[in-house]
Amino acid sequence: MDQTGHDIAQTAHATAQAVGEAHELPNFLTVLAKLFPENPVFDFLHRWENVVFSLLVIGFIGWRAIAAARTGRFIPKGAQNAWEAVTEGLTSFVTGILGPRGVVHVPFLGTLFIYILFDNWLGLVPFLKSPTSGWSTTIALAIVTIVYVHATGIREQGPLNYAKHMMGSPQGIVGIALAPLMLVINITVDYLAVPLSLSLRLFANISSEDRLLYKFAELNVMYKMLPFFFQLFANVLVIIFSLVQAFVFLLLSTVYISLIMPREDHDQDGKAHEKKAIAIHH
Amino acid sequence: MEYFQENIRLGEVFVQLLAFLIVFFTLRKFAWKPLTSVLKARRERIEHEWTGIEQMKAEVARLEKEYKEHLQKIDEEARVKMQEAIQEGRRVAREIQEKARGEFQTSLEKTRANIEIEFEKARIELRREVAKLSLQVAEKVIREKMDAAHHEKKAMELIEELGKKP
Repeated sequence: MDQTGHDIAQTAHATAQAVGEAHELPNFLTVLAKLFPENPVFDFLHRWENVVFSLLVIGFIGWRAIAAARTGRFIPKGAQNAWEAVTEGLTSFVTGILGPRGVVHVPFLGTLFIYILFDNWLGLVPFLKSPTSGWSTTIALAIVTIVYVHATGIREQGPLNYAKHMMGSPQGIVGIALAPLMLVINITVDYLAVPLSLSLRLFANISSEDRLLYKFAELNVMYKMLPFFFQLFANVLVIIFSLVQAFVFLLLSTVYISLIMPREDHDQDGKAHEKKAIAIHH
Repeated sequence: MEYFQENIRLGEVFVQLLAFLIVFFTLRKFAWKPLTSVLKARRERIEHEWTGIEQMKAEVARLEKEYKEHLQKIDEEARVKMQEAIQEGRRVAREIQEKARGEFQTSLEKTRANIEIEFEKARIELRREVAKLSLQVAEKVIREKMDAAHHEKKAMELIEELGKKP
């Protein structure tokens, strides 16, 4: 194992040195591009590596999820059991915040969570890469989320109420006078600040994790044995933080949906849900 | 600005967005819906069966109560019938006793009447015999003309003779 690990680390180091300022461990596309610099296919794949790895994750998730869902046994076994547990857990979590009507958002939020989680974990596999360590990936996810949230808002509240909501639900002359300002502020926050914070948080965390793994691998090349245990520890940390980041993305997306839904639709004990959502948001 | 240009590639953003939408719609149709429908069907079936079990338990409890009440009723009826049978037995015994007593009384009176009749018959017979004897005595007295002592002796002999007669 030591020899293999050493070889990998050496390759990583060498590749990093070769491509200049490296921030993460090399993946197989980086290595291929390095080995065959004139090959346009490898060059293209290397430039679009985040998309390639995203497609890899999509393929894997799609294959496993559809295979598990297809069995449809009354008494579940194996993969169906695991996917049902995930579905049940996510449904319970989402409806806990959004109320019983929140069950319609489980497919979107569930896909988002699982996709981000596997994207994050992919960087742990040797010669693969976390697509979420690229800002473009996380921006795409944030845009999809914000569009979904506001589409839900328009559908649930109606266009007029949604517009009023965006103007801060003005009441009285002062409220009406401040409505344009509130509109500008809400649009800035909801359509710019929120996706920016969502995407930047995920991107920064995952790219930092990858950088951490890279630095420990580099230490392994420089020193023997001892850094390897640190790297093991870092791997465990990366597993946990990747899960936490996927969960944070899911939680915030759920809270945004909760905040844009009409107040009376927060079910019978809506107040409790609202308080919970605000508490989570803070 | 250079940092943004380096890290954000609009083409990649678009493709990633498209990729996510594809996985979302695919999973929604082929994974989430079947999984949630399986879970829903299972929940409904369990709820249905659970309700059935609860109903059956209630039915069993009701039947048990009815059965116990029925048993109690049977016990009660049996006790009442037993009491009736005892009363009837006592009544019959009393009737038999009264009847026996009546018959005994009748028989006794009849016997007593018979005895009186027999006694009367015997008395009449005796009187007739005495009369007859008296006539015989008178006849003898007249025929033999005996003295007083002789009369007494003869009378005594006659009485002894009478006593020897069966």
